[in-house]
Amino acid sequence: MSLRDAENRELLVLRIDDDSDIPVVLVRLGAFLSAQGICAPESARIATATVELATNIVKYAKRGVIRVRALRLGHQRGIEVEAEDKGPGIANVNLALTDSYSTSGSLGLGLPGVRRLMDDFDIRSTVGSGTTVRIRRWIP
Amino acid sequence: MENMSPVLLMQRHEIVEADLVLVRELGSHIEPRLAEYVEHLYAWMRQLPEYEEYFADPRRVERVQRAQVDYWRELFRGVIDESFMARRRATGEMHARIGLSLPTYFAAVDMSLTILVDRVLPEAALGDRKAAALRALTKIVHIDTAIVVEAYNRLTSEKLAGQARALLELSTPVTALWEDILLLPVIGIIDSRRAQDIMRSVLQRIAETRAKVFIMDISGVSVVDTAVANHLIKITKAMRLMGCECLLSGVSPAVAQTVIELGIDISSVNSRATMRDALEEGFRRVGIEVKRIGQ
Ligand SMILES: Nc1ncnc2c1ncn2[C@@H]1O[C@H](COP(=O)(O)OP(=O)(O)O)[C@@H](O)[C@H]1O
Ligand SMILES: [Mg+2]
Repeated sequence: MSLRDAENRELLVLRIDDDSDIPVVLVRLGAFLSAQGICAPESARIATATVELATNIVKYAKRGVIRVRALRLGHQRGIEVEAEDKGPGIANVNLALTDSYSTSGSLGLGLPGVRRLMDDFDIRSTVGSGTTVRIRRWIP
Repeated sequence: MENMSPVLLMQRHEIVEADLVLVRELGSHIEPRLAEYVEHLYAWMRQLPEYEEYFADPRRVERVQRAQVDYWRELFRGVIDESFMARRRATGEMHARIGLSLPTYFAAVDMSLTILVDRVLPEAALGDRKAAALRALTKIVHIDTAIVVEAYNRLTSEKLAGQARALLELSTPVTALWEDILLLPVIGIIDSRRAQDIMRSVLQRIAETRAKVFIMDISGVSVVDTAVANHLIKITKAMRLMGCECLLSGVSPAVAQTVIELGIDISSVNSRATMRDALEEGFRRVGIEVKRIGQ
């Protein structure tokens, strides 16, 4: 095992069971990002996107898990966040990604906003079995 | 993994009895020369920036060196049981408590393997079974690292969860800055629940004081997501309905950028760069002029 591998494996797992976990996500992610040497405005961007996904898990799927990884590609450093739940899934993903579309009467800017905040955005959702959103940000 | 049995842990890391046998044999070559290992390891550790910080006390160096030798002895016993796991957990917790970073811990494990294999293990040891033996050793070291990391993370996350609770419990100290002008510096984390608390208490204070201007400074807030932004907008609108104008101040460049990229319509929010700018605007609105004496 080399140090490089160790760093690539560095992983933060955040379990989401209810809305009291949201502030914990913020604090733990903040500590993780600063340990990776990532600070504002990049840390705010990544934390905001992560909180959006965590909030969606609580609101629509009740519980799920968020995994955060530190990435390294040559000299590029990045952060990957994966939010996974086994909730009801999203019937129309394109609609869910549209600004101001919400089934809960909130702003409907979470998913489309996260897509704008991050460099890579990948969403997989199956009705009845759950949703996984994976996002990446490469630190400029 | 916390409650995983040794058997399950071995299965997960694909460790079979043959691996343990090989590791014991490796140990028979390495154990007599562990003193050499310690020498090499400390030559490397001494040039780490954190060395001085942890090893100012020579008695501590001695103690840790003994623990490191014991560690490899135990690992080369080739027995993965509850007591092995318990000792590894204790090591992880200890590293978390002294604040040793995981990358440094990984680097030290990495360096240890290099030293043991390249410098301590005799060339000819184990013959053609050497490669398999080293693979087995690496697997066991991985198990060990996994246990340490988990213990480390658990302790750190308990600490952080405590901090998160503390940040949420921060009160919302609304201060009367001037006749008709109230100030609230928001610090820490705002989630939906706290935003609702803030809304309730500020509206209450406005009703009591009939304030005309409310300055909400969020320079102590580092993340504003769509839910929090929505709450801030609602607070602003509710105040306006009560005849009080809300002036937001202290929006950091990072928060400004994320709020815009999220696509939030902030046209109803009256914002000033600093608390001082907001205060000047507040004075203007309530018809107060602040002048230097003698001017
Ligand atoms: N994890 C999820 N599981 C099920 N549905 C989801 C999930 N995340 C988002 N959605 C759906 O996508 C819609 C848009 O989400 P979002 O853009 O975050 O806006 P909002 O949360 O304000 O409604 C939600 O209203 C919901 O119907
Ligand atoms: Mg949302």
